[in-house]
Amino acid sequence: MLDVKNIHVSYGDAQALWDVSLAVSRDEIITLVGSNGSGKSTTLKAISGLVPLSSGEIRFEKTRIDRLHAYRIVEMGIAHVPEGRRLWPGLSVRENLELGAYIRTARNVKKETMEWVFKLFPRLEERISQLAGTLSGGEQQMLAIGRGLLSKPKLLILDEPSLGLAPLLVDEVLETIQKINRQGVTILLIEQNVTRALSLSTRCYVLELGRIVLSGTGQDLLADERVKAAYLGL
Amino acid sequence: MIVSAILLAGLYATMSYGLALIYGVMKIVNLAHAGVMMWAAYVAFILIVHLGANPFLVPILIAPVFFVFGVLLQRYVVQRVMGAPPISSLLLLFGVWLIMQNISYLVFSGDTKAVTTKYTLMTFQISGISISINRLVVFIVGVLALVVLRQFLGHTYMGKAIRATAQDKEASKLAGINTERVMETAFGIGTALASLAGSLMALIFAFDPDFGRSHLLKGFCIVVLGGLESMIGVALGALVLALAEALSVLWLMPALQDFVSFALLVIVLIVMPGGMKELVDRLIRP
Ligand SMILES: Nc1ncnc2c1ncn2[C@@H]1O[C@H](COP(=O)(O)OP(=O)(O)O)[C@@H](O)[C@H]1O
Ligand SMILES: [Mg+2]
Repeated sequence: MLDVKNIHVSYGDAQALWDVSLAVSRDEIITLVGSNGSGKSTTLKAISGLVPLSSGEIRFEKTRIDRLHAYRIVEMGIAHVPEGRRLWPGLSVRENLELGAYIRTARNVKKETMEWVFKLFPRLEERISQLAGTLSGGEQQMLAIGRGLLSKPKLLILDEPSLGLAPLLVDEVLETIQKINRQGVTILLIEQNVTRALSLSTRCYVLELGRIVLSGTGQDLLADERVKAAYLGL
Repeated sequence: MIVSAILLAGLYATMSYGLALIYGVMKIVNLAHAGVMMWAAYVAFILIVHLGANPFLVPILIAPVFFVFGVLLQRYVVQRVMGAPPISSLLLLFGVWLIMQNISYLVFSGDTKAVTTKYTLMTFQISGISISINRLVVFIVGVLALVVLRQFLGHTYMGKAIRATAQDKEASKLAGINTERVMETAFGIGTALASLAGSLMALIFAFDPDFGRSHLLKGFCIVVLGGLESMIGVALGALVLALAEALSVLWLMPALQDFVSFALLVIVLIVMPGGMKELVDRLIRP
């Protein structure tokens, strides 16, 4: 479904990604793990068109999407829920969700999608008229995911949805992500907690200093000595 | 006098909201605002004085033309410096303003022009206060434009996209919003508001190719006073400035009236850099 092939990305003079390749098939949950600054967010931004590639290519359902405007990539069926939620704090919950359905294909089915999102996150419906900036951290993350879902994506990309949440809420959010996946949305996810990431996903990629150093299924990586030493402290 | 200050405030608000909107969405200060006001004044002059068009319809009819001008200016000129340091867009738009001024000097010479119509001197009386019909209609048109704009920003997809882009451009791109289109639209609306203010002002004040400069300063003052986010803030800022100007005539030479906005701007920046919003916030939550 998504094919990232040998991409290099730089911010000015500083190169952030070297020769990164990864593939996502339909209905998978893929996680990206790696320490801070290893290039996880940059990888997602390259996919959703926020940062340009210096070389390599990205294909989504066989079509090249690098060089497309970010909004065109959303129209193709990729929704990116960015790090730190990035809601519009001065707009209401309803307006945040409505604008999630900005693209034409999503506008027509906005009502049904909205109902689906409220079923996933009932608390959003209770808060519908509140300004997004007044929500709690957990609610903001739910709204950010909900906003992403309103574009009716085939592939949902999430950048550290568990960041800054209390452990109970993290479980709740990650369970909901699995539920979304079972309802037919493919997931590509950054998760800092390696144990959780491995148990959650069908496959996992490990980034270090801008390069993919390991990849495989959860069981493979859990059994890998390097992973045990570097990430699980075993 | 207070009444005429309030009527003038409506016009100031129309002009300033254009500046605030463009700043809010694009984070650039549009110096060409003054040039647009000046051109709109000349277009109104030609249509009303030479072609005999209705003076109150002309501002409304030319606004869409200036909307298109603003969209093209954004698409082909300003877009090139988006993301560059602020000084680039300042210089660029200052250059656009100079070019507009020079075109006017060439075409219309530097003579002062005035639009006088049969309404110019008409007044009516309400409980002893005499009100200029001209100024009243100008006020109504200006305020009506802001009301329509408020509805647009609050209730249409494009309007909401404009507000969203002003708050977080990157998040807006990720929501599938074509932010370049949004910026063009916002620049077009800001330009249309400038033209509306300029052509309405031409019904009240005399003008020449340098017209708009002192108003630009007033616009900055109002925007700083009122804060950039809210239309109500801008309206209040406009009211404060118009009243300050009117009252200053009592103590200062009329020639110094333009000085008021400058003084007010400096005072506000020193005393309350957050503008009236900060003041109100402080009063509500001491
Ligand atoms: N906007 C930016 N400008 C310059 N450098 C950046 C920018 N964003 C990220 N970087 C750099 O790119 C590298 C990768 O960052 P990032 O992808 O955010 O890592 P991660 O998400 O894994 O923590 C880091 O060295 C970071 O400092
Ligand atoms: Mg990151």
